Amino acid sequence: MSIYKHTYRAYTGKVTPIRARILAIARYGLAEAWSAKFTTVLFVICLVPLVGFLFTIYLSNNPAARLLMGNAGSRVLIIDGSFFLKVLTTQSWMAMALASWIAPRLITLDLVDNALPILLSHPISRFGYVLGKYVALFATLSTVTWVPCLLLFAYQGYISPVPWAASNVRIAFGMLTGAVIWIALISLLGLALSSWVKWRIVATGVIFAAILVPAGVGAIVTGVLRTRWGFLLNLPVMMSSLWDRLLGVQGHMDHLTQLPTAAIVTMLALTCCLSIVMLNARIRAREVVRG
Amino acid sequence: MNNLIVFENVSKFYGEVLGVNRVSLTIPPGITTLVGPNGSGKTTLMNLLTGLVQPSSGSISVMGLSSRDADKFFATVGYCTQFDFFPRGITGWQFLLDSLMLYGMSKATAIQLADEALQRVQLDKTAARRKIDGYSKGMRQKIRLAQAIAHRPRVLVLDEPLNGLDPLARSESMALFEELGRQGIHLIISSHILDEVDRISDRVVLITGGYLIAEGNIRQVRQEVREKPMQVLVRCDHPEALASKMFAMNHCVEARIHPDGKGIFLRTGDIDQFYSILNEIATEGIVKIEAVAPADDDANAIYQYLIGSEGGTL
Repeated sequence: MSIYKHTYRAYTGKVTPIRARILAIARYGLAEAWSAKFTTVLFVICLVPLVGFLFTIYLSNNPAARLLMGNAGSRVLIIDGSFFLKVLTTQSWMAMALASWIAPRLITLDLVDNALPILLSHPISRFGYVLGKYVALFATLSTVTWVPCLLLFAYQGYISPVPWAASNVRIAFGMLTGAVIWIALISLLGLALSSWVKWRIVATGVIFAAILVPAGVGAIVTGVLRTRWGFLLNLPVMMSSLWDRLLGVQGHMDHLTQLPTAAIVTMLALTCCLSIVMLNARIRAREVVRG
Repeated sequence: MNNLIVFENVSKFYGEVLGVNRVSLTIPPGITTLVGPNGSGKTTLMNLLTGLVQPSSGSISVMGLSSRDADKFFATVGYCTQFDFFPRGITGWQFLLDSLMLYGMSKATAIQLADEALQRVQLDKTAARRKIDGYSKGMRQKIRLAQAIAHRPRVLVLDEPLNGLDPLARSESMALFEELGRQGIHLIISSHILDEVDRISDRVVLITGGYLIAEGNIRQVRQEVREKPMQVLVRCDHPEALASKMFAMNHCVEARIHPDGKGIFLRTGDIDQFYSILNEIATEGIVKIEAVAPADDDANAIYQYLIGSEGGTL
């Protein structure tokens, strides 16, 4: 009989807190998302409108430029809540395009490659896994939404010859809140839909469809039944109404729909809940092999 | 913390599909092989063992730990799945480091443990710094194995670890498993390449259709299957004479000459009686016997005996 000395020693050292592991998943996700060149191209495209907005702020605060443009300049170059609503709306839809490209890269590849059993055999829960991916997507979308929006606000406050920022803090707060609600929603929706679609490109289409198809149905309901409640299926309209209110702007959209804020918030919360249910059903380590 | 893996009356159903049913099993340290055809429940058993799925009923304890105590449990278990998953565009080294950080190691510790794991699987550092996309099948298997052992688990679960490996890589992997087993780790392997895994296994667990059909040391299990004829290879100078003598004594149920003509496979229902008769024949000097060895006390043969025609082939 052979007698072997049991020399194996398991690791008993210190381990990092759970948040560090979630950040490792997020870093993993970011690497995955940015490994495609198209992500960089799309990101640059998302930043292009900001150059225009920046130039507009510069012109509006430049006396020579205003003088040259005459009466038209004073109409076009007003920097107020409406201007920043345009900035927020533009950047939010840019973020939507970016999310529909990145979200499938974060989730679909893991599911197709059967990566979940190996990832979830680490001391990280399904919630931790989704949170890590969510952080990666949220961080990326932040760089094209509320971060540049607030930078533009700060630039306007800095360049304005009269004290401007202090009297328009509501705009900054509205942009931050509006952008955070939007990217939180599309990140969750993007991950949830991606987890149910096997092909990345199809997943990108499905994310757009999930927003545009119910909007169309909502428009039909509104038209046929002559009720404003059909707009509750229309995410773009709901978000526009919400942004109007957050920035204190009486927008054209808000005048049309007049949806109660509570109804909008409830619908957004329901969309988030539905996304969580979808993720819960799909993000599992189960690995069933049938031959 | 005890030193055993214990399944107590564990069942797992995926909706109406049976994964495993009423499995009670105790696994001590050493190398244990799970044997069964595709769909028999091996992977479910491994998923249960690694805490990836929860049992529908019954309980599982790994070294006294439950998967609900996630931090300790997952630090104790290392899992190498049968799927060839790697994040796209990542190097082997980065894959190891990220995995170790997910196990909660600091960067400094992760670097040290990754180095150690690479040495264990005999993958050099230059190769590890290359992108996994360019790895050969053997190298991919090595880096997966390194990932499973890098955090120094006490239980290592390997799902089909020899699949697709060339003979050299297979032999290196087997040597590593053997070494880990000797060092006192719990090593649970599922494999179709039974003849090789058999050589290093301390015990086998035979499973089919979600039911455990036998477990224990391969030879012990074979001994318990007394009613099934056992096959013995006798190396001798006159195999035909030996067969004729055995049949004359009405003992053997089947005889087959070895392809090289220098031996014979004899099938007997009573192995003790067989050896006794063989001794008598040798003493009489009718044939000159050079070697006698059981020819079917491997897991594959035992498995085929136990499941008969209903379990399919391995």
